[in-house]
Amino acid sequence: MAARLAEEWFAICGGCEVTILDIGEPLLDLLEKVQIVHMPVLMDHKLYGQTGEKTEMEIPEAEVGLISGGIRSDEHKRLAQEMRRKCKTLIALGSCACYGGIPALANLSSTEELLTKVYRESVTTDKNGFPHEDIPALTDRVYAVSEVVKVDMILPGCPTTPEMVAGALTALLEGRPFTLSTKSVCDECPTIREKKAVSTLRRRLEPPTFTPGAPLNQMRCFMEQGFLCNGPATRSGCGGSEGTPRCIRAYMPCEGCFGPLSEKANPMVDMMGALSTIGLDPKQIPDRAATFNRFSGAGRLRPVPKR
Amino acid sequence: MSETELCEAQATGESGGEGWEPLILTFCCYWCAYTGADLAGTSRLQYPTNIRILRVQCSGMVHPNLVIEALTKGADGVLMLGCHPGDCHYLEGNLRARSRAEAISLMLEDFGLEPERFRLEWVSASEGPRFAQVVTEMVEQVRQLGPSPYRS
Repeated sequence: MAARLAEEWFAICGGCEVTILDIGEPLLDLLEKVQIVHMPVLMDHKLYGQTGEKTEMEIPEAEVGLISGGIRSDEHKRLAQEMRRKCKTLIALGSCACYGGIPALANLSSTEELLTKVYRESVTTDKNGFPHEDIPALTDRVYAVSEVVKVDMILPGCPTTPEMVAGALTALLEGRPFTLSTKSVCDECPTIREKKAVSTLRRRLEPPTFTPGAPLNQMRCFMEQGFLCNGPATRSGCGGSEGTPRCIRAYMPCEGCFGPLSEKANPMVDMMGALSTIGLDPKQIPDRAATFNRFSGAGRLRPVPKR
Repeated sequence: MSETELCEAQATGESGGEGWEPLILTFCCYWCAYTGADLAGTSRLQYPTNIRILRVQCSGMVHPNLVIEALTKGADGVLMLGCHPGDCHYLEGNLRARSRAEAISLMLEDFGLEPERFRLEWVSASEGPRFAQVVTEMVEQVRQLGPSPYRS
């Protein structure tokens, strides 16, 4: 019997759903093994019955549940709880579900400030009241799914990688364990590191120094070239079977989308340590909290006190 | 310092209320500062007992996350002592410590801590009196600041 699969999306762009599609040919094999019972992005399955006749929200029972996106409203919270009740294994798909992702940068401001900015202070907006009819209330901040319900597996990445999604689902269906890498991006990065910066901090738009066509192991580390690279504080695994991290392969410094190496890690402290160690000036980082927690703001970022 | 020691410190009435005594974690490098502390001891110099010395091989191996962790888990202050610039046994470990200290000072603000709770000083192996003086100053300074907000 095919395993039933339910999927929900919360505060997210939809990129992680595209990743599922991006699995390519292996997806065909995978689809034979699963039966999708609920997936708002793909199919018309309504929460309160197809004609809205039910009073309680209902998601069909499933063996595997996928949740993408962080939790931003009461509705997301209730949906996450319903998913947890109905799914045997719950997977957080993508960095938004795992760590809050980009939407969690909003945790730097209070909900009140956000609403005022968007609906009252923005010059291009008619100054109306806050929308409140027929929409769920916002939560006080963006939460990672694991902060609201128990999550059995996380698949980080922005978006996460097709290889990882396919690998995790296949492992789950075959009853094999699936584990994430516990190494950092630097551990899998082939560039040359000499523990000393050769430049002051540079903007990302400037080109790094490398010989086109030459292998990456002849190129100097991005951080040592003065580019902020989140590699030291980021979990590896984005390179998949190829090993070399995705952004590095494209001659770009790591953005940090795979999130911190452990639940307790504080990427800001690790990164400030890493960059001052090689001699870059920590004072030049304009917004260290947001820069180094770009994908892991849920539970790590909070409103900045006014000075 | 181990968590057990911190717990002990808290259990013996040092947890911030009445009878609070500052608790300062001190990283001493093996080659200079720790020998300096030793000298202060053998010379019978007096200094407050509020410090707990942790010997490290070089001040350059004290990463900011160790300092931040100490301060957010119960220490009222952190003192980092190394060789004078140019005297490092590992050539430039102390210079590395200096640039890290800058990052640490910046981050204390993010954690809601006063910058005075962290201090980096150079103490050579022959500077026993200086060790005693730095420790006395630091303890006094932290005593004035009061218990760390993370101690409760």
